[in-house]
Amino acid sequence: MDEKIKRELMEIVGEDCFTDRLIDLISYSKDASEHKRRPEAAVWATTTEEVSAILKLANQEMFPVTARGAGTSLAGLAVPEHGGLVLDLGRMNKIIEINIEDRLAVVQPGVVYTDLEKALAPHGFFFPPDPASGKVCTLGGNVATNAGGIKGAKYGTTKDYVLALEVVLPDGRVLHTGSKCMKSVSGYDLTKLFVGSEGTLGVVTEITLKINPRPALTATAMATFQDLEDAGRAVSEIMYSGIVPSALEVVDQQTLIAINQNTDLDLPEVEAILVAEADGHTKEETEYQLSKIIDIFKKNRAGSVTRAEKPEDAEALWTARKSAYAVASRINNNLFVEDLSVPMSKVPDMLRAIFDIAKKYDLKMPTVGHAGDGNLHPSISIDGTNPDEIKRMQEASTELFKKVIGFGGTLTGEHGIGLAKARFMEMEHDHVAMDVMRSIKRTFDPNNILNPGKMGL
Amino acid sequence: MGLKMKYGFERKFRDQVLRCSSCGFCQAVCPIFGLTFRPALNARGKMLVLQEVMDGDAELNQELIETLFQCTTCANCSTNCPSGVSVPDIIKEARKDMVAAGVGHPAFIGMNEALKMRHNIYGEEEPEDFERERNRKADYVYFIGCVGSFRENETTMETLDLLDRLKVDYTLIDEVCCSGVLEDVGYRINRELINRNIEMILSTGAGKVITGCPYCFRTFNDDRFYKGLRDAGVKVLHISQFLKDFDFEVISDKVVTYHDPCDLGRHCGIYDEPRETITKIAPNFVEMSHTRADALCCGAGGGVRGAYPANSIAMARRRLDEVEQIGAQVVLTECNSCLHNLANAKLRSQKFSIYTTAQFINMLMMTEIDKE
Repeated sequence: MDEKIKRELMEIVGEDCFTDRLIDLISYSKDASEHKRRPEAAVWATTTEEVSAILKLANQEMFPVTARGAGTSLAGLAVPEHGGLVLDLGRMNKIIEINIEDRLAVVQPGVVYTDLEKALAPHGFFFPPDPASGKVCTLGGNVATNAGGIKGAKYGTTKDYVLALEVVLPDGRVLHTGSKCMKSVSGYDLTKLFVGSEGTLGVVTEITLKINPRPALTATAMATFQDLEDAGRAVSEIMYSGIVPSALEVVDQQTLIAINQNTDLDLPEVEAILVAEADGHTKEETEYQLSKIIDIFKKNRAGSVTRAEKPEDAEALWTARKSAYAVASRINNNLFVEDLSVPMSKVPDMLRAIFDIAKKYDLKMPTVGHAGDGNLHPSISIDGTNPDEIKRMQEASTELFKKVIGFGGTLTGEHGIGLAKARFMEMEHDHVAMDVMRSIKRTFDPNNILNPGKMGL
Repeated sequence: MGLKMKYGFERKFRDQVLRCSSCGFCQAVCPIFGLTFRPALNARGKMLVLQEVMDGDAELNQELIETLFQCTTCANCSTNCPSGVSVPDIIKEARKDMVAAGVGHPAFIGMNEALKMRHNIYGEEEPEDFERERNRKADYVYFIGCVGSFRENETTMETLDLLDRLKVDYTLIDEVCCSGVLEDVGYRINRELINRNIEMILSTGAGKVITGCPYCFRTFNDDRFYKGLRDAGVKVLHISQFLKDFDFEVISDKVVTYHDPCDLGRHCGIYDEPRETITKIAPNFVEMSHTRADALCCGAGGGVRGAYPANSIAMARRRLDEVEQIGAQVVLTECNSCLHNLANAKLRSQKFSIYTTAQFINMLMMTEIDKE
């Protein structure tokens, strides 16, 4: 990037909000994935006008721009693969409006997920997707990845809540999509096109989100299963029983073994544990749902079933699920958290396949997941300094995603494609679908300045 | 065949540095990130820099000072790290490598020199005499620490008054800096100063040392060169541990809150003792929104007050904002350094007062006497 461009960027954002210092370039070279590439400069934008001027300049001078929130992507979405400029939106962090009467919140992209949660709590409302990185990830990042979390089965993911967006297009024009209405079929759904577009079509500068009243009560139960297939049947049966749990999580045997090896929790090393949570506004409502769920657990030969009567007891039932990530990340020096989705009925088959692949490639692949929506997270812990382990991990990944597609599944449920899965895109999408996606990219971003190198486009 | 490792931090912590999975969860708790929104200054940014140094893609040079020396070592990142990376220990080791490579922070080059000459971190010539006989035989030694001796003298005077009221048989000594702080800013602890402190403490015949400073407390208890003190059977207590068993028979009707010093809380796990004492004397006790292991750093630690004063004060302001939010009239803490930074950061419009717990108790007792 030549000095003239740097000077123009400084003029747009001010000297204090521009950097090409080594420490900043290194910190922007990576997100939570294994991918890495230093940008040539970075800016902290604070207004839509600045973002617009930056993109206009980038489009004229043809340098790449990668927008960034908290950089928690597990798939390389925030890594500036082609260098250029990182556009840090973390300082655009104002909650502009909370409108309970219209059931919506208007936010800037740099607002941290839990900051919105804290602001909504006094009103008895929440923004449900609940990503695991909620304490750090930004809402702009949630929109760009279409983030999900453990509440997906009942409450859906980010896309189900985005009503309207303000987006700066690569040529600097500012686009307003959607409306503040709960229902709208006015024109193409441009809002949804941007949700999950991984910063490849435009830079989101304002988000209007639908918010939900938070049910006051929850009830939780945990069940152990000696046989994975029984757990799988229990999941399917719950999901067509008419009860929709607010969470239904699975923890596999490899995870339980890993937790036991690294903590003193002494969990039962069964083939699977399921944790279910029901929410509602009255005790009768939650207890009724939970009783139905427990009946289904028992009918499907659950070993033990533990029910939490109080919120503090519920915490104990979540221990296995919630300690999985910390344990997996301590097993070795590199951790790859995979993300895949299969039709719900295929969850047991998929868990078996993961176990077999891990064995075949001599890897540890403890798996947890959102069984209620078929979204699983095998995590692969390896010694990243050992080329042989890296090779085995890559081969195992390829085989894993072939299996996923074979089961009618999809490459990613909530982490996105980014760089990590770009090479698998054509495994899932045929040439017509890829061609349409590429045309959309060209229409919005003919010079390919926005987050180039992502999504296999 | 071993890897060729150029730096000490690498030899000691290579695996830990690699173990950082750059999940970024530390951003939620890093006081410097919370202030600057600059990922380079967060723990993840620091670990990425060190990974590049280990890979030979960056040098430990002048350009890295701004991030590696801008860490309060508050340990909020390591407390919340899913991968269990001990960030403050790694930073301290890397700072030593930088000093060895001739790229230390100028603020600490001066401090290291001052300590050699004057035996306190400020390079002050005359220590306050606190109107007490020193180096006498007693049950306890009260070890003040540099901040209490040279910057927060009034607080120290009130603490000593309280010990007198409580009829504690203590003595002051001609103390010199415990010198633990040198380890934080790129240098090695000063053996000469250590030996002087140990000799003076032992010559009083005291079985226990009470420290006014959580950092001295940590250094006496943890540093291998203070082993002589521990081997002689001398027990080292922080003043908050010492005070918790007393009954003060005074009560304040003020709304009181407590700021957990990082050195006492996250680093030593001492959260309950100060609260036991405070709730005895202040029934209107309220917690701030970030408290105990989750407490916000005052911004003074790890040498940041000396090296980056503007950001240090701004961090203290963020903490004081929390005091305002809960409407407290008094903030108590157990660390002179926190007290000093918070007091410096307090705005005129902020009407609450800031004391150490001992100082506040002494003030309450004095008021009682005045009433009589």
